[in-house]
Amino acid sequence: MSKRKAPREGPNEGITDFLTELANYERNVSRAVHKYNAYRKAASAIAKYPSKIRSGAEAKKLEGVGAKIAEKIDEFLATGKLRKLEKIRQDDTSSSINFLTRVSGIGPAAARKFVDEGIKTLEDLRKNEHKLNHHQRIGLKYFEDFEKRIPREEMLQMQEIVLIEVKKLDPRYIATVCGSFRRGAESSGDMDILLTHPDFTSESAKQPKLLHQVVEQLEKVHFITDTLSKGDTKFMGVCQLPNEEDGTTYPYRRIDIRLIPKDQYFCGVLYFTGSDIFNKNMRTRALEMGFTINEYTIRPLGVTGIAGEALPVDSEEDIFDYIQWKYREPKDRSE
Amino acid sequence: MPEIAVRHVVSASSADPTHCAENLLRPDTYRKWKAAQPGEKQISVILQFEKEEQIHGIDIGNEGSAFVEVLVGSSASPSEQDYEVLLVTSSFMSPSESRSGSNLHRVRLFGPDKLVRAAAERRWDRVKIICSQPYSKTLAYGLSFVRFHSPPDKDSQSKVASPKLTKFGQFKVKDEDGISGSLRPGALFFSRASKAPPPDSAPQAEAPGPSYAAATLQASAAAAASPEKPSTKASPKDPAPAKRRFELGKEKAAPSAARKPEPKAPKKPRAVSLGAVAPPTPSPRKPQKEGTGLGQGVGPEAFERLLQDVVLVLSGFQNPFRAELRDQALAMGARYRPDWTPDSTHLICAFANTPKYSQVKRLGGIILRKEWVLDCHRTRRRLPVKRYLMDGAASSSSEEGSENEASPGQLPSAPQGAEDPRLQRPDAPGDKAEPSTSQTCPERDGRLGLSDGSEDESGDTDDELRRVEEEHRKKQQGGRDPGANPNDDPYGGSTDENTEDEGQSPSDQPIPELPDLFVGKGFFLYGEFPAHERRLLTRYITAFNGELEDYMNDRVNYVVTAQDWDQAFEEALHAHAGLAFVRPRWIFACGRRRRLVPHQPFTVGPCA
Repeated sequence: MSKRKAPREGPNEGITDFLTELANYERNVSRAVHKYNAYRKAASAIAKYPSKIRSGAEAKKLEGVGAKIAEKIDEFLATGKLRKLEKIRQDDTSSSINFLTRVSGIGPAAARKFVDEGIKTLEDLRKNEHKLNHHQRIGLKYFEDFEKRIPREEMLQMQEIVLIEVKKLDPRYIATVCGSFRRGAESSGDMDILLTHPDFTSESAKQPKLLHQVVEQLEKVHFITDTLSKGDTKFMGVCQLPNEEDGTTYPYRRIDIRLIPKDQYFCGVLYFTGSDIFNKNMRTRALEMGFTINEYTIRPLGVTGIAGEALPVDSEEDIFDYIQWKYREPKDRSE
Repeated sequence: MPEIAVRHVVSASSADPTHCAENLLRPDTYRKWKAAQPGEKQISVILQFEKEEQIHGIDIGNEGSAFVEVLVGSSASPSEQDYEVLLVTSSFMSPSESRSGSNLHRVRLFGPDKLVRAAAERRWDRVKIICSQPYSKTLAYGLSFVRFHSPPDKDSQSKVASPKLTKFGQFKVKDEDGISGSLRPGALFFSRASKAPPPDSAPQAEAPGPSYAAATLQASAAAAASPEKPSTKASPKDPAPAKRRFELGKEKAAPSAARKPEPKAPKKPRAVSLGAVAPPTPSPRKPQKEGTGLGQGVGPEAFERLLQDVVLVLSGFQNPFRAELRDQALAMGARYRPDWTPDSTHLICAFANTPKYSQVKRLGGIILRKEWVLDCHRTRRRLPVKRYLMDGAASSSSEEGSENEASPGQLPSAPQGAEDPRLQRPDAPGDKAEPSTSQTCPERDGRLGLSDGSEDESGDTDDELRRVEEEHRKKQQGGRDPGANPNDDPYGGSTDENTEDEGQSPSDQPIPELPDLFVGKGFFLYGEFPAHERRLLTRYITAFNGELEDYMNDRVNYVVTAQDWDQAFEEALHAHAGLAFVRPRWIFACGRRRRLVPHQPFTVGPCA
C-alpha cells in the first residue's frame, strides 16, 4: 500500500486533512493501528459527505464518526485548529518520525530508531548512509521523485509498456495494474502489478522464473532501473518512463510486481485494488454471509466457524457472487 | 476401503416426505434426501454408524446443495453439540449453477488427505452432515448419497474400491486429477476452459439413447414460442456455451437429442409425461422440406376450405397452444369437436396413450401429430396424413421414402383409405404389402441396425430380445410340434425364420402354462420403445399376470423405460414414492428365468 495517499478535495477538506494527519500520527508515532483506522474511516465518511459540515453533531450522524471525533470537529470549526495536532506538530520527535517514514523503506519502527539515534532529517540520513539498508538507500536516493504523485497519463504509458513486454514473453500471462489507478484515480503513488500464469497454481511448485523473466525483460528495455528486493513471488523496484524526444525526463517511480497463483489471482486483484476501507467492508459482508475472504482465497465458514476449502474463483465477479453482493466496478470501490 | 455401515438416521433438520433422510441409507442412487421446503438456508442430518469407526474417506453425491460440511461425533458424548469438523465446508455448486439449477448432481470423493486429520484419526459413531444452498430460493436441495469408508484392511487391500465405485450407478464421478477427487480452487474453471470447445464430448457413451422426454420437454418451450419450426431446429444451439460444464446435468439432453440425427425414422412421439401435466410434445424429426414450392400453396378462398371435410378433436394439448392449434385448423375450414363424436374424422394427439387416443384407436379414427395441422397451415396445402400418423413408428420409416415423392397437393382420400385398416389393427400380421413391416426383425429395421453398432446397451437388449423371442418360440413350438426344432442351441435357428414365426404367433397359438410372476404388480411403459419391444413387453407383463396401466397412477409399481432419467421421473417419484424405474431387460429376464429376478440391477438411475 502506498504511503502517499492522494489528497482529498471537497467541501470538508480541512476536516479530512486533520483527521488524516491524526491517523498518520497514530500509525507512525503511537503505533496504534486501530486509532489510525478509526481516523481513516471517519475521514472517508466525511469526504463522501456532499455538503459542508457545520457542526460535530452533524458529522456524528455519519458512520465512523463518534463522540471524540465530533468533539474535534467542533473544535476545528470553532477555532480553525486543533490543540492536539498543534502539540503533535510541535513535538520534535513526532514530527521527525512522521517525516522519516516518508522515505521508502523506513517504517514507523525504523523511523523511531533513527530519531532515537538523533537522525531526524534527510541530511542526517545522507550522512549515515552506512546505517541504511539497500532499500532505504534507494528510497533516500529517489526521495523527491518518490514523493511525487504519478499522473494517470503516465500510469497509462507505464501500464502499456509492462503489458506489451509481458505479452511478448508469453501471451498466456495475465497482468493487472491494481491500486487506486485501477479505481480510476487521477494520480497514483506507485505502480502495483499483479501477475499470474495458468501454469502456476497454489498446488503447483513455486515458479520464480515466471516472475524473474518478466523483471529481466523490463530491465532489458530499461524500464526497471533499480531493484529494492526480489523474491520468488514479489519484486519491488524502481522504474522510469523513457525520455521524451524533446529531452523531458520522467521521475523515477516505485513499482511492485507480485506473482500470484492463478486460482488466487482474483482474490489478490480484489485485495490490491482496494480501497482498503472497501476491502474491510467487503470482508464484513462476507462474514455476515458465512464466508471469509483474504488476499488469497474466499472460503465458506462451517457451523463451528471453521473455514472450508478455498472456493473456485475465476473472476472478481465470482467473489461478489459468492457473498451475494452486486458487483462493483473498481471505480466504485473508493470509499 | 470397506464401507462403513450406517444403521439409521438419528435426526434430520428437514426432510421431504418422499425424499426422506432414510433414503441416504439405501443403495439406490436416485433415492435422495431433500429439504422439505425449497429455499431453506441450511439443512442437516445426523447418521448413526453400526459401531465406532475411523473414517478414511467420504463419497458424496450432491442433490442441489451449494456447500456440504461433515462433522463427526459420538453418541456417548454428554452433549449433542460436541461435533468436530471432519470435512470442511466444501463446494458442490457455484452460485450461477445454483441459480440456473445446473450440475445438481456432482459427485466428489474425499480421500484421507482431504479430511481434517485430528478428526480422521479417531473413531466416531455419528456423523452430522450440513448442507446449505444460499443461492437458490426455489431449490429443495439435499444429498443423493453419502458413503463412508474405513481405512483399508491389511488383507483386503488388494480388492479395494472397485466394487464400491460401480455402485455409483449412473452417476458420473467427477473427472479430476488423482483419486483424491478434490475440487481444487480454480480447477473447475481450468477444466471448463480446456474442455469447453468440443461440446459433444459430454459423457454420453453409456447412455442408450437420447433422453426423449427431456428433449421434448425442452424443445416444447421453443416450439410453443414458434410452433411452426420443426423442433429439431429449436434445440441444437447450446443456450449458454460459456456456462458449459463437463458433468452430468439435464442440459445434456438437449444437445444430444439434437445431435442424433435419426437417419431414417422420424420417431413418433410416444413420450408420455409421467407427471400430471403434459406439454405439447413436438417430435424431433427430419426437418420438413421447407420452402419447396411454398409459393404453390392455395389461394385464400381455397385455404379456408383446405380441411373442409375434417372434423377434428384435440388431445393432450394445453392452452395457449391448444387454442392456437385449434384456430389454425379452423382457419383452414376444419370443424372442431371437444370430444370424439361419430362424425369426427381426425384426432390430433400430443402423445400416445391419452384416453382419447385409446378410444379413437379402438374406433378407427385417424390419429395424427400436431405437425400435420401446423404444416398444412404453414405450407397452405393439405398434406397427406401418412407421415403424421401417430401410430406405427417402425412402419413409417420406409413410408418416408415414398412420401417424399408423393404429390403434395393431393387430396387425402386415397392415401387415407390405404392407411386406415392398418391403423385399426396395427399388429395385424398380414401387412406384408409394405416392406417396412420389419417390426419384429431387428436386423432389418434400419434404425435398430444402426444403433446396434454404436451403442452397447441397445445391442444387449437386442440380443436379449432375440433370445427371449427364441425361447418363446420354442416354448410354443414345444406345445405344438416338439420335433420341429430338435436343436437346443438357442442361436441355432436362423433369425429370419424366427421373426416370421414371431410374426404369426401372437394370439392364435396356445399359450403354455405361465407363472404369475407379476401378480398384483402394476406396470407402466414410459417413453419410446421399438414397436416390437413394446409389444413384447405388453405381452410379457400381461402373460405373467401383471397389471399394465395406461397412465401413471397409484397402482403402478414399476415404470418400464428405455430412456434415461429425466425430470419427469423425478416428478413421478415425488407423486408415487414407491416407484421403481426399470429397463425392459428386467421383464425379459424375469420371463427367461420364469421367476421374479431382483429388479435392482436393471434400475434406471438419475443422469447417466
